[in-house]
This record gives sequence, structure tokens and C-alpha cells, in this order.
Amino acid sequence: MTLRDITLVPASVPATATFREAATALRDSGLPAIAVLDAEGHVEGLFTDIDLLEGLFPAYLGELKHTSFLPDDALTERALEAADERVTEHMRKARELEIETSTAHAAERFLHCEEGALPVVGDDDRFVGMLPRAEFSLAMLRRRTGS
Amino acid sequence: MELVAIAIFVVVLALIALEWVHRTKLALAGAALMAILGVIDEEGAIAAVDWSTLGLLAGMMIIVGLTEPTGVFTYLALRVAQLSNGSALRLVFLLAGVTGLLSAFLDNLTAILLIVPITLLLADLLRVSAIPLVLVEVVSSNIGGTATLIGDPPNIMIGTAVKELSFLDFIVNLAPVSLVTLVTVTAGLAFAYRKQLRVPPERAAEIARIDPARDMREAVYVKRSLAVLLGTILAFFLHTLLHLEPAVVALTGATVMLLVAADDVERALERIEWSTLFFFIGLFVMVGGLEERGVIDHVAEGLADITGGSRVAETLVILWGAAGGSALVDNIPFTAAMIPVVDTLSPSGESFDDVRWWALALGACFGGNATLVAAAANVAAAGVLDRAHQPISFVRFLAVGIPVTIVSLLIATAYLLVFQL
Repeated sequence: MTLRDITLVPASVPATATFREAATALRDSGLPAIAVLDAEGHVEGLFTDIDLLEGLFPAYLGELKHTSFLPDDALTERALEAADERVTEHMRKARELEIETSTAHAAERFLHCEEGALPVVGDDDRFVGMLPRAEFSLAMLRRRTGS
Repeated sequence: MELVAIAIFVVVLALIALEWVHRTKLALAGAALMAILGVIDEEGAIAAVDWSTLGLLAGMMIIVGLTEPTGVFTYLALRVAQLSNGSALRLVFLLAGVTGLLSAFLDNLTAILLIVPITLLLADLLRVSAIPLVLVEVVSSNIGGTATLIGDPPNIMIGTAVKELSFLDFIVNLAPVSLVTLVTVTAGLAFAYRKQLRVPPERAAEIARIDPARDMREAVYVKRSLAVLLGTILAFFLHTLLHLEPAVVALTGATVMLLVAADDVERALERIEWSTLFFFIGLFVMVGGLEERGVIDHVAEGLADITGGSRVAETLVILWGAAGGSALVDNIPFTAAMIPVVDTLSPSGESFDDVRWWALALGACFGGNATLVAAAANVAAAGVLDRAHQPISFVRFLAVGIPVTIVSLLIATAYLLVFQL
């Protein structure tokens, strides 16, 4: 069994999309990550829900470990600035899976990365669809149990 | 073989200064090369490692790492911002004071890693530029760290290498000059940044409304962690009376901390910065190679020739030379190489003379402010700023670092001439 036998979700945005457009596409997809594609359909990067969160707040927030003292409206200005920035400024490097990849290899990759969905590319190296971790796991379960 | 030893050491120092490759990789590669080429034999390489320095560093890393989740350091930074009450002058002095104090009693690298992220937040809340505040903190951390045996890596190395020098000796001989230097330099920086750090009154009012103790109330093991931290610092003061090496004090404190304030020992030990410890191991082996091949003796003889054996000239050459060397490379490897040189120059036994050691400590620690690569704390601060998308350039750092270092060294020179020579 390879990834060709699993239903993939064609969730992506073009590299020219803004942060706001990518955020909307991410929400509409219902996935934890979507692909960012160049004009030829190659995967340029991955935009995840963590990237969305990081983009909304100052970059140093991740360095802090104590913030319970902050008032509700603190640090919200960054979201305004981020809205019209290019998604490419917020995406991360994508580690693609090939369509012929075995399910065992895909499982190993999921276990060693924090992204909840990974982009799958075809033989021509173009984006085919996103493989969500939950969907992948359920497909494996269905395959073994037959239901 | 002497030339091989020099070549390896100089190339490693140059590459460390250029920052193309991680300094730990370079130090270990240099050490391995010296061992493989026979500059130093295997037994010599192992004997060259100063395990006391490594123990002291590892112990303090565990203690501070387990105190950090209590939120006490965030509390201190927030209180400072509140006490400044919107005044740029007060903010700069208070931040410099807290950073200097934390550096003196934790170590300056740790102090910077604790204080810079919260400073970025404070700057955002106060609507002022973060970089001037971070520069003040970096400078304060290097000066504050000069005051104690555990405050700055050069002092840790000197303190563990020279058994005659106690924790109290460092404080008595270095804390006053560090304090004077800190106040002088901070006043200069506060004046230079007075316009950039003007706080809008409404922002000061907003900071005043923050409850800085909230995180501490939510944290666990606050009292235990602080008790162990303060107990360890107290034990440092008393280590001579207790007949305990500083490394034993730090490791005992770390062990008590693990027993009373750590649920998961694996996670607690992750607080140890292994790359720093291995960097030191590589350095010690390389310096051992230089000693083995007589390079250190030749440098010491050369220094004695230049100064004509004059105690005053030797001391001042060590002070300014250590600062210059630290500025060019990094004060840790430079101090590692200078310790055996100063040891050769210093009389031992009953006529033990500590002034050259204070000159080395002051030169290496104050010289750490000169350039972005001169001290580990500077590199760490630049790393945090980079990750926060507020990078600081080498030249911008230099514009502050050089005048600060010159003023610091002039104060140190006056201090050594008047009180020590």
C-alpha cells in the first residue's frame, strides 16, 4: 500500500497569497497545514496553524515562558501588520512525501515531525494533495480492520 | 611540533571569531587534531581538562534552569519596568542593575538568556526600541559578571585554576571596580539613549497595572527553588570556610535542587548546555597542547622581556592585552590560553601575588564588551534578537562596545594603579 491508495486533500494557496488569504484557506480546509505552491504547482513551503499563530504575535513570544500577567489586549497590533504580508514570509520549509511512498515510511515521517499534515507530490514533482495525519491514521486502521 | 600547536590554535581562534562554524565544533576539531598529530598525548589531553570548571558550569546550569520556571526572573524584570515609572533614565539604570546583579550571582550568559526575551516584551509594551535596552543589558552583564567568581566564564576559569583565590577574594577585589564601572557606563548609555527611550505616559500607566507576581503564584516549587539558589550563593561565600571547591558547591546545590524541585530528572538535565561544556573541553585540550609544547612558556618569557619584569608594566599589559585579545576572538578561549601564561609570571606559595589575576579577569571580562563576538553573552543576545526579527549588526554593536570597553579599561587601570599596585 502506498499513498496513492489514500484520499488526499488538495488544500493549497499560491505563493502570491497574503497571510490573511492563507489563514482563510487554512481554516476552510479544516487541516492543520496547507501547501504553498509556485506558479508551476511545485511545493514552495508549508503554512501550518503554528505559523498562523506565530504570525499573529511578536516573534519573541516564543522565547517567553511567563506571560499570565499580560492584559487581554496586549500584543495584538502584530496581527494588523501581518494580514497583508506575503504568506511566503510566514511559511516553513516543506518536507514532501512522494506519491509512491510506503505507508510505513509516511508513518515514520509523521512521528518525527510536528506538522499535522504533509504535502504529497506526484512523479512530476508537482503537488497532488495534503496528507492529514488523522486521515492517514484512520485509513490505516480501516485497512487493517476492514471497517 | 610547537609550530603545529600554534597553527592549530590560531586557526581555531580565527574561525571562532568569524562564526562560520559553531565554536564547539571548532574547539573539538582543534583538540582532536592536536591529539591525532601528537601535539599532546591521550593522557595529557584528559589531564588538561579542568573538570572543576565543567562541574561549576553544569551545576549552575541546573540550578538556574530549575529556578527559571518559578517566574522569579520575569517578576524582577517587570518590577523594574514598573519602578521606572516611565523614566528612561530610571529604566536603563534599573535594568542595568538587575542584569548586573543576576550576572554576578548566576552567570552573565544565563542572565542574558533570562532577561532579553522579557525586555523585548517590555520594550513593546512601553513603545520604545528594544535594541538600546538589550545593549545596556549585554554591557551590564559583562561588567556585572566581572564582580564574582561565578559571574563570567573567564572568572570561572581563573577561580577554578588558581586555588589561592576564593569567592570572597573575587568580590573584595573585583566587585567595587565593577560597580563603579557599571554606574559610569550605564550613565553614559542612558544619556546616549535618552531620546530613543522616552516612554509615553499612558504606556507607563499600563505597565503599572500589571501584576508581576502572577506567574510566581501559579508556579510550583517557588520557595524550594529560591531557597536552594540562595543557599548555594551563600555557600559560595563560605566555600573557603567549608573547605569546599566552588564546583562542589555548585554541584551540591544542583543535586539538592534535583531532589526537592524537579519531578522529571531527564527534563531537568536537559537544562545543561552540553555544547558549552564540550566547547570548554576542546579549549582545555588545545591549551594543554600549547603548554605541552612550551608555547605558553615562550609567551610568558616574551611578556616578561617586553615589560622588563616590572610588576606594574606586566599587570597593565595583561589588562589591556586580555581586553584586546578578547575583543578579537572570544574571551573564553583567550582566557584559557592566558591562564598558564599568567601562572608562569605570578610568584606562588607564600609570596602569592594576585594582582595579575585581577588584571586578567578585568581585561577579559571588560574586553568582552568590545565586539559582538567577544563574549558568549553578546552572541546569545544577538541570537535572541535575530529570532525576534530585530537583528543587531556587528557595526552597531561595535559603536557601543568600543567606547564602553575603553572607559571600563581606563577605570580598571586607575583601580589597579591606585589600589592594587
